[in-house]
Order: sequence, then structure tokens, then C-alpha cells
Amino acid sequence: MVITRLTVVLTVLAVAVILYGSVQAFDQPSQDSGQKRADIIKIDGMKSFGNLERSGVVFLHDLHTSALQKVDKDCTACHLSDNSKLSLKFKRLKDTSKNEVMNIYHDNCISCHVEVAGKGDKSGPTTCGECHVKTSAYVASGQPPTFDKSLHYRHSKSQENKCELCHHEYDNSTKKLIYKEGQEGSCRYCHKDVNEENRMSMKSASHIACIDCHQKTLKNKMEAGPVQCGGCHDPDSPNTINRTDIKNIVDVPRMERKQPDFTMVKTDVNDKEQKGVMDSVPFDHKAHEGYNDSCIVCHHKDLTSCSSCHSIEGKKEGGFISLEQVMHNPDAKESCVGCHESKKKDKDCAGCHELMGKHSNNSSNCGKCHMEQVGNMKEATTSHKSKTDKSARLAEMMLKSRTPITATYNDEDIPEKILIKDLSNKYEPVEFPHRKIVKALVNNINNNKLASYFHAEKGTICQGCHHNTPPGKQPPRCVSCHVKQAQDKGSFKIGLMGAYHLQCMGCHKEMGMEKPVSCTDCHKEKAHEPKK
Amino acid sequence: MSISRRKFLGLIGSAGVGTAVSNSVFAASNKHFTGYPESFAVLHDSVRCVGCRQCEEACNKVNDLPEPDQPFSDASVLDKKRRTTAKAYTVVNRHDRAKDGIAPVFNKTQCNHCLEPACASACFVKAFKKTKTGAVTYDASVCVGCRYCMMACPFDIPAYEYDNALSPKVVKCTMCQPRILEGKLPGCVESCPREALVFGKRDDLIKIARNRIARYPKNYVDHIYGEHEMGGTSWMYLSGVAFQKIGMREDLGIKPAPELTSGALSVVPMVAALWPVLLTGVYAITKRKEKIENEEKNQAVNSAIKATKAVAELKIGEALAKAEKEQEEIVEKAVKSAVDNAVKANTEEAA
Repeated sequence: MVITRLTVVLTVLAVAVILYGSVQAFDQPSQDSGQKRADIIKIDGMKSFGNLERSGVVFLHDLHTSALQKVDKDCTACHLSDNSKLSLKFKRLKDTSKNEVMNIYHDNCISCHVEVAGKGDKSGPTTCGECHVKTSAYVASGQPPTFDKSLHYRHSKSQENKCELCHHEYDNSTKKLIYKEGQEGSCRYCHKDVNEENRMSMKSASHIACIDCHQKTLKNKMEAGPVQCGGCHDPDSPNTINRTDIKNIVDVPRMERKQPDFTMVKTDVNDKEQKGVMDSVPFDHKAHEGYNDSCIVCHHKDLTSCSSCHSIEGKKEGGFISLEQVMHNPDAKESCVGCHESKKKDKDCAGCHELMGKHSNNSSNCGKCHMEQVGNMKEATTSHKSKTDKSARLAEMMLKSRTPITATYNDEDIPEKILIKDLSNKYEPVEFPHRKIVKALVNNINNNKLASYFHAEKGTICQGCHHNTPPGKQPPRCVSCHVKQAQDKGSFKIGLMGAYHLQCMGCHKEMGMEKPVSCTDCHKEKAHEPKK
Repeated sequence: MSISRRKFLGLIGSAGVGTAVSNSVFAASNKHFTGYPESFAVLHDSVRCVGCRQCEEACNKVNDLPEPDQPFSDASVLDKKRRTTAKAYTVVNRHDRAKDGIAPVFNKTQCNHCLEPACASACFVKAFKKTKTGAVTYDASVCVGCRYCMMACPFDIPAYEYDNALSPKVVKCTMCQPRILEGKLPGCVESCPREALVFGKRDDLIKIARNRIARYPKNYVDHIYGEHEMGGTSWMYLSGVAFQKIGMREDLGIKPAPELTSGALSVVPMVAALWPVLLTGVYAITKRKEKIENEEKNQAVNSAIKATKAVAELKIGEALAKAEKEQEEIVEKAVKSAVDNAVKANTEEAA
């Protein structure tokens, strides 16, 4: 009796060990290999009914569309239509039950493949294991397309500005889609990632609406947008929405949505606390339209003003995120600071800014946006009647009062070359082309409106390297802070050699410069170095 | 039997649980050692390292090691993966990360100077010692050359002087213990042109590392390798990519090696002591079972015999009775016929 119990325990242990080992042995297949395709659809929808019995099927949509086209068949060969709109599902309008859906696939796929093969044409698989493969030979490379301003312009131009063809709203009383002029917004405002009550997912909506319209246009023998997966989802394919035969518009005309040219970013008029808040920020709306691909970058939920949802204290509509937070969150792309921070990562700026690390803002910059109003501006706005117009006019005047000057010191005040010799030991001192570098950086800043506004002080640009010291014509030498020993013991401030190498090489790397590759790209080796 | 079988098994079971519980208590006899207070450590920031191999050269120089086959300026050395040897206490390896779309990452390898070193726990002559400076030192004078330390080290660090026939030693990075005692920096740290190596008190270095991660969140993986690995090490690392991608083990866990081995080793006496008891018990039970079986068998045989006997007796009885009856009948019959004959004869005579 006891012996059997022991045996059972030992057997269980042994089995557990073996199973653990075998589990370890099954590694995830690597995703690196395989042909990239943008038209991959994984047929595994049945998993909504429970676990799949076999692995899902990788279906190449464009391959099938092209094959069917050759035999004069269109989408209706696979897709049923409901109210003249094609269903996105295969040969059905709804997912009924696991078995039914499974049978639809098995019956229709296999019968068609058999039929085609019977005619002697190249056909698809007819046995289980050919479709249900564990590792596919293909890798999905499909990318979500962006309907940017350029694409929007091309559509509105070809549709003769008939906004109602795409833009709509759901009317709850009549349960119909209606068009409201002047209320157009991004599809994303209503169509979310998944189906919701009365509104289908963005995926369904865009596939039905876009492809349907493109198909109809094609049937009318007119130039139309893509109807195959790769056309929208593969930015590298020659047949994409970015294809060259329809030229990408560089200077896209502004969208006409009665948006202001200038506006004042401020607390909502209904907000209780109006006194003692920061000065309002004049905002060049027109210019910022140009910097972004679409309105949704800033207007993430609807096309109203920021303060209508984000109040000083935060309210429900804005997820209780206060106006201060939304404007200054350095990690949110919708926020002013977040977007401006991300510009520091541009190659031209990263050399100095990336080395400064996160949150390098200082309070002296607040006034750059929160400008003080100048007295006579108020008087100048009296001719405008409405409050909105007045503040817009005020914003415009304030913005125009800014004189972006990229200033630095005169050439004679900027040393042309600097000999870095504090540490010369194994190598000759490094000849540092100081003025040349300053000029290159000034040039980068001059090409950028944002940068030049924030580098208007003469000493600001110097502080990229001469950091942590007051800006001035003659900043202290590096060695006055960084000690010559290998490491400043105790304080952990970086030693001189580390400081030079991290600053110089760090900047070169961030700015994407090829050199230095080896030590001698900067240092000349000493001619008479004693051999060991 | 004064103890029932069930009770016996129960005792064995509770003894097992008892040893298991006390086992874990004893295993942590040195609690969780977080290093000697104020002990030194080195932080290697692989984000800063550019693979110049100045550290290797400095190490070679301060330790009077033989000149390498290829000079330290020869970058082609980095083309293959290397490990520490008896002639190189530290090596820099290049890890190509083109797959991740980034430049190669360099990583320096040397003794990590564990807070609770596996080599020391495996060494039965106590040649290895964790000192208060943070360095794990080696005493060649007591070493017997068993090389258990090499087997025990989870980082594959100790090397052996295989080409020294007479007095081979185990060799590894010393953390420049003699230099530290003189107030100098370890050779590699001193030579690093980008301060990818920082020497200081372990607690300070952890703060510095955290600071760097917080200030440059984009550049670093949010982890300090060695802060807790194998119970913590005195050589810690920062990286911009997953540590296993730069050849560092991420499967080691945070338990110090002695805790792992002391657990296993403490089981040995328990196994040695308990198995005979257990097996004897098993033997006794089997024996007793056999005895009972025998008794039962005898009983069954006896009762069977009895039953057969009874049946046989019954049958004999019946047979005897029957025979007796038949006998009687025969006698009766004979008597009757004799009487009849006599009566007949008498009647004939009378006639």
C-alpha cells in the first residue's frame, strides 16, 4: 500500500519534470523571418466562441481579390451585402454559432479551391493542414493609414467640396445619419476602436465607406482610390494612397471649418476663478495647422476649445485633467509642452537638448508663452464687437509684437579655435573649431521659428555646452567645475575627461554625425610616444 | 503493536514538514545580507561605453598581466565573444543590435563581487572572502585547486592557470583591492574616458543609477542589474537594451548563492537520517502485513479443513446410518424370511 503511494508520488513528480521540460522546449517562433505582406487577414474570429481547435488561418486578401478579378468576379463572390452595403465578413452577415461559421469557411473555401483546381488553374489548399499552419510563411506589415490634410484635400477637391458625402452625425430621434453643416469633425470622434451602440468601429466604418466609394468610382471608369489592402496599408507599395501619379500636395490649402487664425488660450469664461491666473497665451492657430497632419493631433475629442473640457480645477468632460496639466504635460503629444518637447528630439536640436535630459525647463521660460499684455493693445481692439473677435485680435497683435531674433555674440567675441590641452598625455591637444560649431548651431536655430523664439537671449545658445553657469560672454572653463582626476570622488560630478568625451561624442551622436569613429579622429597621436 | 500504521505514517509526514520548515529558517541563517555598510562598488553604464578597451589595458597594466596577442587598440578583437581568462581579468564584448535598429552595445565583464559570493560558499578551504571594501578576495596559499568556485560562479568568471604546471591559481578580478586600500580608483575605472565606470559606495551608486534612469528615461532600461541579482553584487550595470541582449543572465533570481546551496546542502543530513527510518518503517509494515496475511491464511485453511471435516463426518454419519439401516433391513428381512420358513415348515409338519 505505502509503496504504491510512493510510486504514484514519484511518477507524478517525474511527469511534472518532463512536462516542464517540454514546455520549455516550445519557444515562440521568431517574427523576423517570412515574407512581409500588408493584406494578411487572420481567420480566427471563431475564438469569440471559445478556444480554437486548430491554429487560425492566414488569409492573403489581395491574392484572392486579384485571382477573382481575372475570372471576372468581384467582391460579391465572397461578401454578402446588407442594404446595398457589403458585409466585411466572409459569406455571412453575422457570426451565428461556432459550427455555422466554421462550416461557412470550410464549405466555401474548399469548394471554390476544388472548383478552380478542377479547371486546371492554380488553386488554394483543400486539406486541413495546408490552411491551419502553426507558423505562417508571411509576416503582417500592414500599417494604419493616416487620413492627413493632403488626403483630405484631395478628397474634398474630387468630390467638389460635398462634405456631406463623408461627414455625418447620428440623429437619435429619427435614427438616421444626418449632415450638419459646420459641425464636421474627425471620423475618430465617433468611430472608436470597437463597435459601440449605433456606431460601428473605425475599422468597419472606414472599410465599408472608403472601399465602397472607391469601387463605385472605379465602375464609373473614373480615377479612384485603392480597393486592395496594400493600397492603403502598405506605405512601401507602389499602389498606395501616396502613389506618385496623384501628386502629394505639399502646401495643402487650409480646411474651411471657420476656425480662427489667432486665438487666445485661456480659462473658460464660465470658470469661477478668473483672477490671479496666469496670463492668457496668444496662439497662432493658423500656423499650428500647418505644423500638424490633422486637427485631431490637438483637438483629440472634438473641435471645441481646450477650456471647454479642461477647466482650472478639471471637470468630468475633461477627465478631471486641469487646463494647466493638459497644456504642460511633457509626455502628451496633444499638450503644448509635450509637442514642443518632442521637437527637441529633432536632429538639429538633440545635440544640446538630449544631453540635458528630461524636464530641463526652467521657470524663466513661462513668460515666453504667458505674455504680458501691453496697454495700448486693449485700446486697439475696441473696434471689434464680439468678445471672441476681440481676444483673437488681441492674440494676433501680441503675436506680431514678437520679434524672433536669433542673437548671439559678435564674431570677435566668439573664440575661433580652442586648444583643449588640459589632459594631453597620450595624445596631442585637440584643436576645437569653436566658432564654426557655434555658427552651425545658430544656423540650425535660425531655420526654425520655434527654436529662434526660445534662443533669443544672446547667451542661450552657449549654454548647450557651457551649462549650469550664468549666460555671459565669457563662461568659465570646463575645468573650473570638472576636476582633472578620473572621477570627482564623493561628489560624483563628472571628471574632466569624462565631461569632454560625453559632451562632444554625445552631441555628435545625437546630431547623427559620422565622426568620430576612432580616437584619432579628434586626437593626433603624440609623435614621440615612448614605447612600452 | 503499540503504534498504529496510520499514526506511524502521520508521524513520518509531520517529520517531513517539520524538517522542511526548519530548513528554510536555517537556510536564511545569514538573513538577507545587503552588503557591508559603506562598502564600495562599481557602476558600469553600458549606454556610455564605446568599447575603447582602455579598461582592459589599464587592468592588464595594474595587474602586471602578460601582453595580449593582439594590441588593445585592435578593435577586431571585439568581433568574437570573449570571456575572462587567466590573462585578462576583464573583457569588453560588442553586442550588435542592428536588429533593434540601434548601434552596437558594449558590455564589460569581470568579477561582479557578489555580496554573498557563490565561489566563497562553494570553497571548502575558504580561499574566497567577501571583504568590507566590497571586493571578493582570493587567498592562493590555501587553495587546493579543486575549481569548485569556477563551477559555482553564476557569471562564469573565475579562470584557472592551466598552463602553470607547478602552482596554478584561480584568477579573477580583484576589484583592485590593493589600490582601493591605497585610496586609488580601480585601474579600469580610472582609465575610462567616458566615465562609463563609476566607483563609489554601493548605496550612492544605486542612487546615481536611479537618477540617470529618471533623467534619461528614453535611454535606459528601468533596472539596475546587480542591485538584487544573486542577492546583489558590488558591480552593477545600466543598459539601454534588455540585459540578456547584451549577454547577461536574467534567469538568476534575487536569492544569494549560499542561500540556494545551503538549502540543498541542509537537506543532505535530513535525507541521510530520515531514509533509514522511513525504509525501516516501510520494512516493518510490509513484515507485519506478511504476518497478518499468514495468520489469515492459516485461519482460512483451518476453517476450510474444519468445514471439509464436518461435511465428511456428516457424510460418513449419513452413510453409516444408511448402512446401519440397510443392515437392519437385511437382518429384519433375514429374520422375517427365517420366521416365514419356520412357520411354513411347522405348517407342513402339522399337515
